[in-house]
Amino acid sequence: MKAVGARLPRYDGVAHVTARSVYVDDVRVPGTLVAKALRSPHHHAAIKRIDTARAKRLSGVRGVVTHEDVPNNVYGHLEALGIPADEPLLAENDVRYRGQPIAAVAAEDSDTALEALDAIEIEYEERPALFDMRNALDPDAPRMHHWGGVYPHFGPHNHRRVRKGDVEWAFDQADVIVEGVYRPQAIEHCPLETQVALVVPEAGGRLTIYSCTQAMYFSLGVVAAHLEVPLNRLKFVGGTVGGGFGGKVDTASETIAALLALKSRRPVKWRWTREEEFLASSTRAPWHIEIADAVTSDGWVLGRRTVTLHDSGAYARFSPYGVTKHAFHHTGAYTIPNLRFDGFVVFTNRVPTTAMRGFGVTSVSMAVELHMTRIAEVLGISPWELRLKNANRIGDTTANRVAMQDPSTVPVTLAAAERVGEKLGPEYAAMTADRRSGDLLPEHLVAQQAPEGAHVLGNGGGS
Amino acid sequence: MQLNVNGVSRAVSSPPLTSLLEVLREELAVLSPKHGCEQGGCGACTVLVDGEPRRSCLLPLAAVGDARITTVEGLGAPGDLAPVQSAFHDRYAAQCGYCTSGMLLAAHALIERKGGPVDRDEVLDALSGHVCRCTGYVKIVEAVMAASRGQVGAEPIEQPLAPEPSQPEIEIAGSPA
Repeated sequence: MKAVGARLPRYDGVAHVTARSVYVDDVRVPGTLVAKALRSPHHHAAIKRIDTARAKRLSGVRGVVTHEDVPNNVYGHLEALGIPADEPLLAENDVRYRGQPIAAVAAEDSDTALEALDAIEIEYEERPALFDMRNALDPDAPRMHHWGGVYPHFGPHNHRRVRKGDVEWAFDQADVIVEGVYRPQAIEHCPLETQVALVVPEAGGRLTIYSCTQAMYFSLGVVAAHLEVPLNRLKFVGGTVGGGFGGKVDTASETIAALLALKSRRPVKWRWTREEEFLASSTRAPWHIEIADAVTSDGWVLGRRTVTLHDSGAYARFSPYGVTKHAFHHTGAYTIPNLRFDGFVVFTNRVPTTAMRGFGVTSVSMAVELHMTRIAEVLGISPWELRLKNANRIGDTTANRVAMQDPSTVPVTLAAAERVGEKLGPEYAAMTADRRSGDLLPEHLVAQQAPEGAHVLGNGGGS
Repeated sequence: MQLNVNGVSRAVSSPPLTSLLEVLREELAVLSPKHGCEQGGCGACTVLVDGEPRRSCLLPLAAVGDARITTVEGLGAPGDLAPVQSAFHDRYAAQCGYCTSGMLLAAHALIERKGGPVDRDEVLDALSGHVCRCTGYVKIVEAVMAASRGQVGAEPIEQPLAPEPSQPEIEIAGSPA
């Protein structure tokens, strides 16, 4: 155990400071072609015609691909988890966000590739676009997804639900109802290394794929599924990533580069420009979160009603997973026994949104913490003491009924109070994470507690 | 024409308006300058031109002339690191590593210009045009200050050079603090 507690040099540290680390764009393969993509100039449109004939005839163009060239064009990022596919690799009949790829070319140099894009003729029929997720379920909202306004496959429901305890009872008993709306916005990951892939057709028929992915085996599966080839036809090389932050979990550039490599039988590199990265790469989702809490005047949160809209952009990608994590964390560091949560994955004509650092959780954590402070202001009590009173304790159960084994709310809150010099009442300063008892186990928190040693509370027939 | 890169005269045939970044990477395979934004905003393509940090993505080949170009390949190699490289390695100042080349060259130029210890504000000024999206700025600034003081070597110095704030630096209305 020499490593525990020691400062070890980074295994890639010397390579980084001598610029010997090999990022995808640093790999040199003779004869590599340059790829460029034709992206939708419209937020929402029907595609009436695609004509690539003129582009294919240009000198120096070695490959042009459209949806017709993709063996399995529509594949979902989470299809392996039972979340059905909705997103084409290359758009066929519709474009649903500005920047959506429709065709791609591989050429001897960048100028020729751009000239080829100009030579591709596409006829669009523009449609009204939807940008505000709050309007997605309006009867007159533009219909932009074949599934309707929201992702519909949460078991029997069209949204992620949590039902725990008796929320009607909580709101009947409340002295005060505190409401709040929280709207964290989209964030571009903005890695310094833009999306990039290099695909080399090998003599034996395999493809070697140099990838900037954060999720190597995941990307392997996605490329194999689109190309309908067995996994052993693809050799992925990666691990050196110039920043990802969640934005390189989606398989963004490898599949189209592979398609062009197969078409041209030449190595193909596709490096996105900074403009493409901002225009067309995925972002963190924007959210619309409405919280109403049933609160007693002495600071107990008896129950919570939550409605969340998760802006998925034009396609589902990982959003159904993100809203599920959001649901599990929607009480944050606090124990609230009576819950009704409804989380919708909403489609809009924005770029598809995706994972980013704490996917689905940071948004609701921000809302919960702001809301706790709002409750304290409404009640005129200490925001520290409100938090400590309702803090997760050993044996308390989460929104999805998992029993807390080692909750950190109390020690972390006490440490924060000490750090900023906050003076707490003696009963709060002496708190621990131990199982609730006495004054901290009022009647309304009894039923939510898991039996000693249990890991999960019995499902009360709820969610 | 000839290009003086890291003390070696190299023949190049790219058209005169080709960016220095493109010439270094694609024609000469000098790979330490990176494509970040290609519009002068991120600093990842920085090289030294006669010792001064310049954005190679914005510099046409024709404007370089016979100036001396220095890249990270010319600073030091594994086993023979320049002080600023050692300090970055000792103090974990590289995370993903993509901005590191530009940071190293701007820091090296500052230390050479100053010829002695640099203070925090001077480092912030010299690195102000460099983006680290991993946001590892604290360790980068500490590394540059340490390099300027000759505090480099196998044993990292445990004590941080920047004092730890005892109070939160930013107070937000409505926050519990």
